[in-house]
Amino acid sequence: MSKLKPSVRTAEELEALAPDPLAHLAAIVDTCEDPIISKRLDGTIISWNAAAARVFGYREEEIIGRSILTLIPPDLHHEEDEILRRLRSGQRISHFETTRVRKNGERFPISVTISPIRDANGRIVAASKVARDISEKIRNQESRARLAAIVDSADDAIVGKTLDGIVTSWNEGARKMFGYTAEEMIGGSILRIIPPALHYEEDEILRNVRAGKRIEHYETTRQKKSGETFEVSVTISPIRDEMGTVIGVSKIARDISDKKQVERLVLQAEKLAATGRMAAAIAHEINNPLESLMNVIYLARTQSVPESKVQQLLLVAEGELERVAHIARQTLGYYKDTGAPTEIHLHDLIGTILTVYNSKMLSMGIAVDTSYNDLQKIVVSKGELLQVFSNVIANAIDAMPGGGVLEINSRKITSASGDGIQVTVQDNGVGIARENLPKVFEPFFTTKGDLGTGIGLWVAKQLVERRGGQIAISSSTTQGSSGTTVTVFIPFATNSSPAAAAEYQHA
Amino acid sequence: MLQPDAGLLRMIADHLQSQKEPVEGPSGDSGTQPDLPRVLVVDDQRLIADTLAEILRNEGFDSAAAYDGWAALDAAQRFRPHWLISDVLMPRMNGVELAITIRQKYPETAILLFSGQAGISEILQDGQRRGYQFELIAKPVHPTNLIARLKQG
Repeated sequence: MSKLKPSVRTAEELEALAPDPLAHLAAIVDTCEDPIISKRLDGTIISWNAAAARVFGYREEEIIGRSILTLIPPDLHHEEDEILRRLRSGQRISHFETTRVRKNGERFPISVTISPIRDANGRIVAASKVARDISEKIRNQESRARLAAIVDSADDAIVGKTLDGIVTSWNEGARKMFGYTAEEMIGGSILRIIPPALHYEEDEILRNVRAGKRIEHYETTRQKKSGETFEVSVTISPIRDEMGTVIGVSKIARDISDKKQVERLVLQAEKLAATGRMAAAIAHEINNPLESLMNVIYLARTQSVPESKVQQLLLVAEGELERVAHIARQTLGYYKDTGAPTEIHLHDLIGTILTVYNSKMLSMGIAVDTSYNDLQKIVVSKGELLQVFSNVIANAIDAMPGGGVLEINSRKITSASGDGIQVTVQDNGVGIARENLPKVFEPFFTTKGDLGTGIGLWVAKQLVERRGGQIAISSSTTQGSSGTTVTVFIPFATNSSPAAAAEYQHA
Repeated sequence: MLQPDAGLLRMIADHLQSQKEPVEGPSGDSGTQPDLPRVLVVDDQRLIADTLAEILRNEGFDSAAAYDGWAALDAAQRFRPHWLISDVLMPRMNGVELAITIRQKYPETAILLFSGQAGISEILQDGQRRGYQFELIAKPVHPTNLIARLKQG
């Protein structure tokens, strides 16, 4: 824009431009949108246009002759001295932004340009003042700044793009979510954050937006700069100009991977709970008949002719039945119900379990080596710990089909979670493959094929942790030194809250 | 609950029982065998009580079977068992009530409860509140394991 240099034209020049120059200027002044005021150097108002009347609220006849201070809030009266001082020295004051007051007392922001008016001799005799009410501008600026701040502080990614999918704006949330900076993204294609297999989505989205449609809470997958994909919910809206024409696209994306993860966990928990209920119902129905069947077959076998075919068959039947019984016992999580904690020596409890497995271990060629140094009793639910150590010891036995040594140690230790008894159950069996080791405490994970239910260690972990204890496993499959060690720590004092226990029961 | 009293199981059990004396009531009604440890088995599932009593008899115990708590108390009076093995969920008198009565009357009798049911925790807790705690074994239990437990003392 060219700068208009203020100049004083000669009367002749003005005469040539307009037939009645004064009337012409007066008309311009009066129809101007902005207030135009003139005052003497003592501050007395001497002219007042229609816009001034509209903006300040004073009619011409009530303001002429009054001081300019009428329009200035009392706390800003000092401004006027400064303005007059500069005017007297011939200076012009351009676009001075300040505050003025309307007749009704309302203060409003204003931008003023004040110029000295000289007489024919060049003496400064008055000042003209062109003012602009900038309330609207300030409001716009403020709301724009506020919107920008909101957009930038949002956790959601807020992205603008053209109808061709070129990124035009990229907020801080987008940087955090996708890992790309605004500099990297603006001017480039939005396809960068869409996994290649989903690129077709963008065409579909743009087609909808061009047609003026809004897409709400569309759940899909997006890709970070690191290449990692994650789940998002996006809302895509057309951006329109003042005429209503779609000129761009706004896209708000929310990371919903946590929500999805929670959904998956809830689903998993529901599945487990349903499985648990089903298992309990089944076990309830089959344990008694199983007990009968086991006794009957045992009797039939012990009364059959020794070494006969019948005895062989019954022995097989008994073995198969024991498998069924094992699964039924494990699946029900039976001991969970067996009540209040009592004071016991852990080695007594382990001794009882070893008695139960004694004949099995003898027949498999497994030697037992125990060393107990837990002279202090612990307060535990006997049934729960029976289940924990039964599961661990049964696993150790299963790991040594060709015989071996089962080593059990117990001792008092001091740990971060308090004093307690640590028991290690160690076998020199086949070991657990490295890739399977992290999964052994997951429900339904088993390395025993049809023989395992996959809940033994999971239940053991639940029971131990509920007591405030810990269970850990290490294993090696290296030939010659293979084997597995399970370490169980049970604190003397239980840290588990009744609420946590109730939660477990509920689950 | 499934009743295993029909079909093949019953036939086998009848066959087995036909070879033995009737087991209702203690086997040693006219006098116990003094040298053998005496075990009283109580279960409302007759097949379980009968077969278990028979197994124990074959394994060198003097055993008797009863099918409910009241019959068990009668039997205990005459039989004076060293061991009581009882189911928990039974009609009329549950296993914990029976066990408490036996503990009060015959404190020298060792007691094992066994059950295949979930949902017996209330019955057990009721016993605990009254100051009684009993060892519990999960059904199904292999006879070999049960025998090992009894021999452990």
